[in-house]
Amino acid sequence: MTLSMSTILRRSLIHRRARSLSALVALTVSAGVATALLTLYADLDAKLHHEFRSFGANIVITAPASSALPQDALAKVRQVAGSDALVAPFAYAIATTDRGTPVVVAGTDFAAVKKLDASWAIENGAWPDPSDTQAALIGQRAANFIADEHAVKLTFAGKPLTLHGTGRIKTGGDEDSRIYIPLPAFTAWTGTTTSVIEVQISGNAQKIDAAITGLKSALPGMQVQPVRQLVEGESRIVDRTHTLMYAAVLLIALTVGVSVLATLSASVLERRRDFALMKALGGSQSQLISLFLLEAALLAFAGVIAGYIIGSALAWAISETNFGTASLPRIEVLPLVLLLNMAIAVMAALFPARVLRGLQPAALLKGE
Amino acid sequence: MRVLEETLSTPGTESVISLNAVTREYASHGNVVRALDSATFAINSGEWVAITGPSGSGKSTLVNMLGCLDRPTSGTLKIDGTDVASMSATELDRFRADKIGFIFQQFHLIPYLSAIENVMLAQYFHSMTDESEARVALEKVGLGARISHLPSELSGGEQQRVCIARALINNPPILLADEPTGNLDAANQKIVANLLGELHRYGHTIVMVTHDPEMAALAQRKIALSHGKVFCHPTSSSRMIRLQR
Ligand SMILES: Nc1ncnc2c1ncn2[C@@H]1O[C@H](COP(=O)(O)OP(=O)(O)OP(=O)(O)O)[C@@H](O)[C@H]1O
Ligand SMILES: [Mg+2]
Repeated sequence: MTLSMSTILRRSLIHRRARSLSALVALTVSAGVATALLTLYADLDAKLHHEFRSFGANIVITAPASSALPQDALAKVRQVAGSDALVAPFAYAIATTDRGTPVVVAGTDFAAVKKLDASWAIENGAWPDPSDTQAALIGQRAANFIADEHAVKLTFAGKPLTLHGTGRIKTGGDEDSRIYIPLPAFTAWTGTTTSVIEVQISGNAQKIDAAITGLKSALPGMQVQPVRQLVEGESRIVDRTHTLMYAAVLLIALTVGVSVLATLSASVLERRRDFALMKALGGSQSQLISLFLLEAALLAFAGVIAGYIIGSALAWAISETNFGTASLPRIEVLPLVLLLNMAIAVMAALFPARVLRGLQPAALLKGE
Repeated sequence: MRVLEETLSTPGTESVISLNAVTREYASHGNVVRALDSATFAINSGEWVAITGPSGSGKSTLVNMLGCLDRPTSGTLKIDGTDVASMSATELDRFRADKIGFIFQQFHLIPYLSAIENVMLAQYFHSMTDESEARVALEKVGLGARISHLPSELSGGEQQRVCIARALINNPPILLADEPTGNLDAANQKIVANLLGELHRYGHTIVMVTHDPEMAALAQRKIALSHGKVFCHPTSSSRMIRLQR
């Protein structure tokens, strides 16, 4: 048997179970909170943008009255807006249903709309298969004007068209009164082509302004308009969420730091006599401080392991309930959490280290 | 065990501790308390000295300075020929581990370490641990069968014997004991007194604070303190040393 620093540490930790445990709990909480916040934070931008994408387009391109968008407009828009932008073409016409009611028919690219307008709720069915050239999505109000949703009979300028509905759209907006059909079928039927292109650029207001400038010069004479409210709202909400997040992290780090500090200080203060004795036995300042720091680091390390597991689970649960998607544990936050916890432990140990430096074994070891 | 078998030095020839106008003042609550006032005396190597005096007279203050746990406010204190004022805090820690063994009234054992580990703790901070040496030290103080007991599982007398084994394990020339029998009953006091006597015979210099006249009588010389001032009365035994010289 030898007596090493690790033996002394182990004995001391076990002997003062309650104290060790409360320090461990404090450090587990700090690591857990840091893990949860960092995991969520790493996902936040993606999550927020995902959420905002469902709000639809933030730029709308239209031809001025009595003119049309050029043939290559869609290709140009895709090129200018970049690969991560969502672009969907629309063409509109007024047709008559088999009940004789006029209805707005829109030709579009279902695959693009499904991404751009992810918030559209489809009821009694599903989005059409992109390969289905005769599919239709029927607005829930428009559905009242047609006899059979499985065989939608429309007439435009005397030309009939029969489609089969795959589901109903419910947005609460204009879309509810329209019937959406594939753009190629629309063009073949009505002879008209794309008149509106909706674009969603993800990012801040500057990025959107830059895209608008680019689109205007690529499509001279066309109207390129931002959906202003949403653009400003988006960046404001994102900024606010970030600020809130930072404030929360700071507040929690501070609270946990203070509680760890209190616990570790108390744990040194209650062992003043033991440390005084070790000093009297020839223990140097650096030996005593390293003994103490090692203890703090050991607790911090154990706290990181427990906290990482708990924090990852927490992040998963939070994102599951708030965003409907699960945040998976991110191993890349682990070094950061470790660093943070070590920093808290070492900082919290600085005060007790000062206590140790000022320790007067003479005063502690005599009398009483 | 080397400690109890070797003779450290020939007694009574050189002073191992010497004080010249040593004063220790405490500043507290705006007042300055002079706990030790201009103490000047010397203790020879191998001497057994008892420090006596009423409560608050400065006995512990004196012993703490002799143990390099505390430094004089003014005056010169030399231990084994070295002026403690000339040493840095780190050097003093080292010096203390080499030169001084402490025996405390309250024992001051680490509660979560066993008897043998408490002894080995002194080895640990001094140089390196040696279990067999620590075991022998405990056997010498009559605790061979108690080595893995925690302090809470030992009687007061047994704890004090662990404390003595710990004080001796690094074979320091000077032993400082602040009321070593203050918390012990008569039987245990006798055991500790015998152990100290044995250590004295092997050449350790012993400085012992005591209130107990019986214990004080065992020492060769008494140093009496009163209000921080030192009154050395040469006792019969110290006269004897002088006669021997
Ligand atoms: N840290 C300190 N701060 C202020 N005053 C102190 C301090 N330590 C001791 N004193 C004062 O110094 C004086 C001497 O104290 P000391 O502990 O040396 O007495 P003592 O002789 O050992 O007493 P006792 O027999 O009760 O142990 C006392 O008046 C005490 O109040
Ligand atoms: Mg005292």
